[in-house]
Formats: sequence, C-alpha cells, structure tokens
Amino acid sequence: MNNIALGRYVPGNSFIHKMDSRIKIIAMIIFFVAVFLTYGSVAQNFIIYGLLFVILFSFIKIAHLSFLSVLKSLKALWVMMLFLLLINTFVIKTGTLAFVINGYEVYWDGIVRTGYIIVRLMLMIMLTTLLTSTSKPLDLTFGLEWLLSPLKLLKVPVHIFAMTISLALRFIPTLMEEANKIMRAQSSRGVDFKEGKLKDKFKAIISLIIPLFVSSFLRSGELADAMETRGYDPNGKRTKYRRKYWKSKETLQTVGCALLLACFILLSVYKPDFVSLIQGWF
Amino acid sequence: MEENISVELENISFGYSKEVTNIDNISFKVKEGEYLTLIGHNGSGKSTIARLITGLLLQRKGNIKIFGETMTDDNVLKLRKDIGIIFQNPDNQFIGSTVRDDIAFGLENDCVPEDEMEGIIQEYAARVGMDEYLDKEPSNLSGGQKQRVAIAGALARHPKILIMDESTSMLDPKGKRGILNLIHKIKENDPLLTIISITHDIQEAYNSDHVVVISKGRKILDGTPDEVFADSKKMIDMKLDIPFFKKLNIELEKSDLSKYKSNSLESLVKKLCR
Amino acid sequence: MPIKLKDVSYTYSQKTPFAFEALKHVSLDIKDHSFLALIGETGSGKSTLVQHLNGLLLPTSGEVQISNYMLSIENGKRKYVDLNKSQNKKYRKKQFDIRNLRKYAGLVFQFPEYQLFEETVLKDICFGPKNFGATDQEAEMMAKEAIQLVGLDESYLSRSPFELSGGEKRRVAIAGIIALNPSVLILDEPTAGLDPQGEREMMELFKKIYDAGKTVILVTHNMDIVLKYVKEVIVMKKGEMLAHTTPLKLFQDEKFLINTAIEPPFVFKVARELIDNGLDIELDKIKDISSLVKEIERVKHE
Repeated sequence: MNNIALGRYVPGNSFIHKMDSRIKIIAMIIFFVAVFLTYGSVAQNFIIYGLLFVILFSFIKIAHLSFLSVLKSLKALWVMMLFLLLINTFVIKTGTLAFVINGYEVYWDGIVRTGYIIVRLMLMIMLTTLLTSTSKPLDLTFGLEWLLSPLKLLKVPVHIFAMTISLALRFIPTLMEEANKIMRAQSSRGVDFKEGKLKDKFKAIISLIIPLFVSSFLRSGELADAMETRGYDPNGKRTKYRRKYWKSKETLQTVGCALLLACFILLSVYKPDFVSLIQGWF
Repeated sequence: MEENISVELENISFGYSKEVTNIDNISFKVKEGEYLTLIGHNGSGKSTIARLITGLLLQRKGNIKIFGETMTDDNVLKLRKDIGIIFQNPDNQFIGSTVRDDIAFGLENDCVPEDEMEGIIQEYAARVGMDEYLDKEPSNLSGGQKQRVAIAGALARHPKILIMDESTSMLDPKGKRGILNLIHKIKENDPLLTIISITHDIQEAYNSDHVVVISKGRKILDGTPDEVFADSKKMIDMKLDIPFFKKLNIELEKSDLSKYKSNSLESLVKKLCR
Repeated sequence: MPIKLKDVSYTYSQKTPFAFEALKHVSLDIKDHSFLALIGETGSGKSTLVQHLNGLLLPTSGEVQISNYMLSIENGKRKYVDLNKSQNKKYRKKQFDIRNLRKYAGLVFQFPEYQLFEETVLKDICFGPKNFGATDQEAEMMAKEAIQLVGLDESYLSRSPFELSGGEKRRVAIAGIIALNPSVLILDEPTAGLDPQGEREMMELFKKIYDAGKTVILVTHNMDIVLKYVKEVIVMKKGEMLAHTTPLKLFQDEKFLINTAIEPPFVFKVARELIDNGLDIELDKIKDISSLVKEIERVKHE
C-alpha cells in the first residue's frame, strides 16, 4: 500500500515542531508583516531582509528541514521571475542607468524592484515551508480555528469550517486511492491517461472525474448519516477531545513575537541609518 | 414476567418518492436483549428499515417506538442516544483522522467531559481489539479494523440498541468472522443489549434469536429461526440463501432419497453409512 | 497464446522508505483455454499479480509474457520484445502500445460499478471498444452482444447507468470488458455482494465464456465456486505462490489447508466424512450439493 505523506509535513522533534500551532501561525503572520515593510534606503532594506533570511534559515536548519526543497520551489518559478525582470526593466526608467544592451536601457530601479519581489518571494516560501513542514495539518486546523474564533461573535460558523477542513484532510488519502482505482479500471478499458490527442485526453479525464464525483456525492450522504446517528449537531455544544493548553511557555513565546513585531515596526517607522553606523565602524 | 420491547415497528409504510412504496405496512417487535436478524433479497427494503428506526428517514404512516416511546420530531435526538448503528461501508463512517479521534467523535457530541474521554477511548478500543492501533490513520487500516473502530465508537456511547446494517458485506471472510465473533462476545458481556443485524449471512440468521424476512418491501416471515426456515422453498422463491442441510434435503427429496433427509452431519452419516 | 510469468517480483514505492515487496519470485504458466482461481488472504499479492497479466504493472524484476509480447524492466527502462518479429527488436515507448495487452487480457476489478460514467448504458459499453479503434457501428454491435451475454435485454441500452440497481450496474460494467472480446478474462471477486441467484447466473456466464474457448481467471474467496467451476487453483501467501494445483488436490491436502487458513467448502467436508465412514462415492465427482446427491443416488441404487 502506498503511504502518501500528507501535505508537506515532515515528522520531527525540534522545538519548532513542538511549538504550539497557534503561536506558529501568529509568528508567521508577524514575519510576513516584517517582510513587506520597508526600512529606508535600498541597502537598509536588503540588510534587514538579509537578517530575516539568516533567522529563517537557522529555523529551517533547527527543524532539520532541507533548504534544497525551498530552492526547488524557487527554481520552478524562474520563468515568472525572468518575466518580471523584463517587465520591470522595461517599464521603470527611473533611477540611475545600470547598463545598455543592444540599445535596450536598463535602469537600477527596475532591477531593485524585481530584486525586492524575488527576495520577498523567497522569504515567504521559507516561512510557509517552515509552518507546513513542522505542523500536522490537523494541528494547523486547530490553530486556525482558535485564532478565528472571535469571528464567532459575528456569527461566522468557524467551528463548521474547521470540521469541514478536518474531514477533507481525513479523506484526501481515501479519495486519492479511489482515483487510483478508477484510473486502473479505465486503463483496463483502453484509456491512456498520459498520451493521446486532446479529444482523447478530455475523454480520459471525464472517465475519471464523473465516477469520482458520483462516488463522492454518495459518500457524503453516507457520512452525513453516520455523523447524525452519532449525535453530531453542528450548532450544538460539543466538548473537545484534543485540547491545547496555554502554559507559561506559550505566553512567553507570544510576548516574544509581540516584541519582535514591535522591533520591525519601529525599524520601519524610524528607519535608523545603520548603514552609516556600520560604515562608521570601519 | 413481561419482557421489555426495545424496538417496535407499528404499520410502517414508506416511499423514497411519492410514486413508489418501498416499505408496505410492516410491523414487528424486538425484545430487549434479543438478537434479531433481518434478511431479504437486495433491494427488499432492509436498510431502509434501519434508517427508519434511527430516524434518518421519516415514515409515511405508522409509528416507530423505542422502549415504548413513539418517535417524533421532538424526541428523535434524545431517542437516538440509545441507538448505535454500524453501516456497511467502513470508510464512509470513519470520521476522525485517527482511531482515537474517531471514537472520540461520538463522545464529543455527547458532551462527555474532556478528562473522562481518554479512559473511555482506551477501554472501548481494547474491547474491540484495536488498542494498539489508536494512533493509526484509516488509510492504514483494513476494512475489518475500521468496522471494529466503528463498533467501539458506537458502544462508547452506551447504546441500548445496536443496529448492524450489512456491516460485514464489504469484508473478506477473515474480516467477517472477526466481526461476528466480536458481536457475540459483546452480547455475552451485555445480555441486555438489543442487536438488530441486517445480513445476507444465512448461518448468522440461523444462530440468532429472532428472524424477520422482508421481500419487496413487505414482511413475509417473522419468528424463530426454526419457524422461519421451515419452509425452504419459500426462501428460495424469495431469492434467499438457505442453510446447507435444508438445501441437501430438497435435493434428496427430488431424487427420491427422502429417507436420508437429515439436519446434521452426524445423522446424515448414520443414515447413509449403515 | 499463453501467459507466462518468469521469476516475477514487484515492489511498490521502490527507493522510498515505504517500499513494499508485494510479489516475490513468482513463476507461473497459464495455458490457453484455462479456468483458474487465484486465492489467498488480503495482502497476499493477488491483485498485484493480476495487474501484471494485462500489463497495468510491469515487474520490478523478472519477465512477463503476454500473448506474443515479453515485458520486463532492464536498467530502469521498460523493455518490450515482440516474439513474433525478429529477435531482440526493442520498441521505443511510442511505437509499442501497451494498450494492446489490455484488449488481449480484459481485467474487471472488484465492485466495477464505480467505473460507469457515460450517459447511457450503450455508450458506456462502447467506450472500451472505441478506445481500441472500433467504429460506432462495430462498437454498437459488440455492445448488443455483450449486454445479452450478461443477461440483460437490449432495453437497458438506452437507460442511464446511474439509475440501475447495484447488480445491474455490475453486469453493465462486466459487459463493458466482454465487449472488448478479450482472449483472457480476469475478474476480481465478481460475485461479491450478489444474492444466490445472481451469483449463479454470473458463474454460468463465465462458464459459457470458458466453454467458448477463452481463459477465465477468477480472484475469489468463495471456495464453493472454486470447487464447482474452476479447473486449476493458484494459492498466494505473502507475495509468494505456494501452489498451482487442482481444486480436488487442494481440498484434500489437510496440512496445507491449515497452513494457509483455507476452509474447504462444506459439501466437500461432508463428502469426505461420508467416504471415511464407508460410503463408496467418488470424491472427484463432488462439485456441489446436487452432484453429491447424484453420487449418493448412484451408490444406493447399485
């Protein structure tokens, strides 16, 4: 039987793995904010982004994750980045002239803008990889549900969303196996899922999607019956088997995150000129 | 001493749409602690009856009574707490992401206090033999194992009635045997538990306390296994399987060998091998 | 043309921590015009084996010969050799259409009802033949033949498969494979969930197909079927082929039965008991209850 690793969760024992998912989500949001703030001149921005990179890189190593996989995701986007570079250098003609190729003028501002985008992209990928690789999908769902729970006051059915998501997660392996079975059955009837004319490929996909949809509808009916007969009332009161505690560790980490956020905001507002500070040292 | 009637169907009629009648005026009583088997050909209405008893479907006519109380819109949720049902497809009733979480699902719905849940989960997982699998995900379990978890989840809510809706139909012979043995063990431990088993397994019916035969939405036979299986020809007409020796006796009669008719291997050997 | 497996092994998820060896050095000869049962517990490798017979899976080591094609993997690359043509001619992936094997050996999975998807039964049955190049008329003819073979009349052709009962859906699904006119028909638990009459009708259909000269291979847990219909039995356990024998020999080998947790059909046990107690019936004539009674009749009227 094939064991499918769900999402990109990579089991591990690092302190990041053990961290409460709620704090991880909060921290991720804070880092996201830090990535999108600006800190003064181009050099200052890149220094802060470099600092963020170092921090995130060390987290990645602490969690025993592979930085290569991050690079692989970036590699997949290189076409988009090249495209961006071309557009930005074409459109932005401000700043100093960098160089000229065959009469095509490239200005620094265009390069810098693209640079910002690429760096931010990389930092975001590192952040989300950190989150999804060190947290089990269900823990993330729990974390999200908890964080969104104030919305309940606005009559948003957060607990129903959470149940929907955890059911979906539970059924992903089952549905993948079912799709596999259907593909094998249709292959045995002469369907080629890999090669063929467009018309044939279309028919092939239909022969997979329709049975999958039909069985999913039937399945959801049966699931609903099962949930109902086991006493499930989506709007009723329910206790929770998997509880997360909030201990002093969690409070400390939250305070740490808040302080971090404060630092970045201060840096962004006051834009201290640490470039000259560093230059002054030498 | 009057025995309690745990489940009663009183003139139940039902149709999935206005034009059809899938259940036509069916009545029967199930005593507390009884093992009832409900048998009938595919499409006869057996599973529909299970859904009517649990209030998943609303009947057109007639009453469902659980321990004497008639089921209405107002009390269906309360009455359901006393009924556990195990469906046919092991995957489509497995809700939790692990065995633990699935057993906990029913407990969460019943607002069982969080501190008590762990103990209950351990206890019922052990009762069905799944205590070493508590953290396994359903995609790593066999059909039989998933059905065990379903049974644990149902029993953990302390039902008075347990309905098995063709729960072994999708299992291989080993899985089937395992579940049947488990149910017998459970019945021994809890003599007051009423079990209603919808099944194709003729041996299971033969070994039960009470058999109800459904055909095309109507109740045809209702009684002890001996009473019900007495008319083998009728069973065959209804496309039902019959126990081995009944089949054998019919064939012996056809070949003019009626004097060898027997109900057990010993008596057959005695008669034939004198 | 037969099917041969030569020292076939198959590992799922090779080169990952989840690698699982489902088949271990299986060698097997299936001759033309055979009626075979493949038995073994869940997880014994039956369904993996069966998927090698129509080329859905290629062995991780060893060779599979289907019809006149020899399939194997050499140095990580697929190798197809056509034994009819000149020696050692290797096909590039695009030249060799492995789908031809799917037509030669038709495979029906368990609970095939879920593969139905077309608007009408006719279209669904024609789906297979059309994938192999049949014209609309040819496919329609094959569909009409197939639907009658499975015991449903032509009026079903215009109906939607989704409005049929479970048993009817199953017959339509099987018709969809029969319409391909395969030389070998492989079915995984075709009678699971059917009532006694449905089971009997389905087995009679397979017997008809076998009598017409094809090879039929059944994966089953039902020993009554094995005793009554098939001529050969292959027993699998934990990826290995333990035996390739006849039903009679299988059910007589008590040690083997205990070792493999196989229960012989009750009628067989009864016959053995009678023979052990002096009744002179012939064990190889016992296929089911009516043949048992016939034997009793023969003995008692002598």
